[in-house]
Amino acid sequence: MNNIATQRIKREFKEVIKSEELAKCSIKVDLVGDSYTELKGEIAGPPDTPYEGGIFLLEIKVPETYPFNPPKVRFMTKIWHPNISSVTGAICLDILKDQWAAAMTLRTVLLSLQALMAAAEPDDPQDAVVAKQYKEYPEIFAKTASHWTNVYAGGIICS
Amino acid sequence: MGFDLVRFVGEVDEELLCPICTGVLQDPVQAPACEHAFCKGCILEWLLRQSTCPVDRLSVNVLQLRPVPRILKNLLNRLYIVCENSNYGCQSVVKLDTLDSHLSECEYNPKRPFPCEQGCGLIIPKDEHKDHNCVKELRELVQKQQQKINEMHQDMATYRYEMTGIKDEMRVLKGYVRALRVCNPSVRAVADELERDEIERWSSSLPQARVTRWGGMISTPDEYLQNNIKQALIESGCPAHILDDLVKNCHERNWPSGLSSLETRQHNRRHYDRYNCKRIPGKQAVIVLPCDNIMVSDDMMSEPGLIMIFAHGIE
Repeated sequence: MNNIATQRIKREFKEVIKSEELAKCSIKVDLVGDSYTELKGEIAGPPDTPYEGGIFLLEIKVPETYPFNPPKVRFMTKIWHPNISSVTGAICLDILKDQWAAAMTLRTVLLSLQALMAAAEPDDPQDAVVAKQYKEYPEIFAKTASHWTNVYAGGIICS
Repeated sequence: MGFDLVRFVGEVDEELLCPICTGVLQDPVQAPACEHAFCKGCILEWLLRQSTCPVDRLSVNVLQLRPVPRILKNLLNRLYIVCENSNYGCQSVVKLDTLDSHLSECEYNPKRPFPCEQGCGLIIPKDEHKDHNCVKELRELVQKQQQKINEMHQDMATYRYEMTGIKDEMRVLKGYVRALRVCNPSVRAVADELERDEIERWSSSLPQARVTRWGGMISTPDEYLQNNIKQALIESGCPAHILDDLVKNCHERNWPSGLSSLETRQHNRRHYDRYNCKRIPGKQAVIVLPCDNIMVSDDMMSEPGLIMIFAHGIE
């Protein structure tokens, strides 16, 4: 990994650790192995959403060309959400693709994902089945999402 | 890419950091509208991918980048930074604006070129000194040069061969010209001109000479001396058609009336300095050619030219 990517990730790692959000248990980052090329993220489900109470794990892969290219992020915890694949955890979010900007950080990415969980974009779906349900049967959607949260994301309690 | 934050002494304000590399701004430039500042290297790299400000995504292109305000530069220049050769023992802490001049002189810089002290004198980066082997390096150098010499030898052989070919051709052509001249009188003028050109070319290839002691003139050279001069003329490239006549003209019996005896020579001595003389290479002798001495009167000149041999005094 080149210098600039390593330097950035080291600083961003510290930034998340020191952040208020960490203190409020809403986001967290851990290293995977010794290199800074792969990290593990955690987001708390936002309040007043079907995801409340759940802890969602993320796989974060930092490319060699970071921060000129965005990190590759995927949900490791299964989640029922129109913009996240219920099978693979792949995320459809503009800032992780063409709207990435070099000044964004791990912290802003995690907070954006948290915001996405609170406000889905069903017109730009990743998972068509979930998106259809979200638009046509919002109540069933809310129940399903809440059920998935309890089953897959409820086991971890924030310390 | 900016300077690593850990190299700085004391607190560095967030405003002095590059949002791309998160280091302290190096060669900073700013976006035109939003005035966000970045290291030049970082923002150029980013703009290769997207023409937007990395902070707020406003449209920006390379040509719109501007220098940052003086106040920002001043704040940066006031920061104290540890020399990048601190790992090699440099303990200098310098102001950011004097970092470059320090680095160019820093004796801990492992890449600083330094002459080998073990004898070969080659200039090599300091960190390569411990693995440096004078004999090996010099042997490689010798091999390289030997190779170059061999190549030059080859080239020379090729040129020599070509030159022989050209000389042969020239000889044939000259034969043609001579034959043509004999059978067609109008060609004679052309041939004469060619010969005149040849003499002028030869003359301009000879070094200018100055006679310091006209008294040292040998006006009656013996046959040995004459042959000696003839040989030197051939080597200097003297045109063949004037060679024999020219050699004859090194003796006073063939000189013009103004030079033919001691008395006339003494009488005309003041005219000597007007001669434009050419040196016969390697000899104490000069050639005075009509083409170089148009203004000289007939009693001081003869065709195809004069040769004067001296005991000494030619420069």
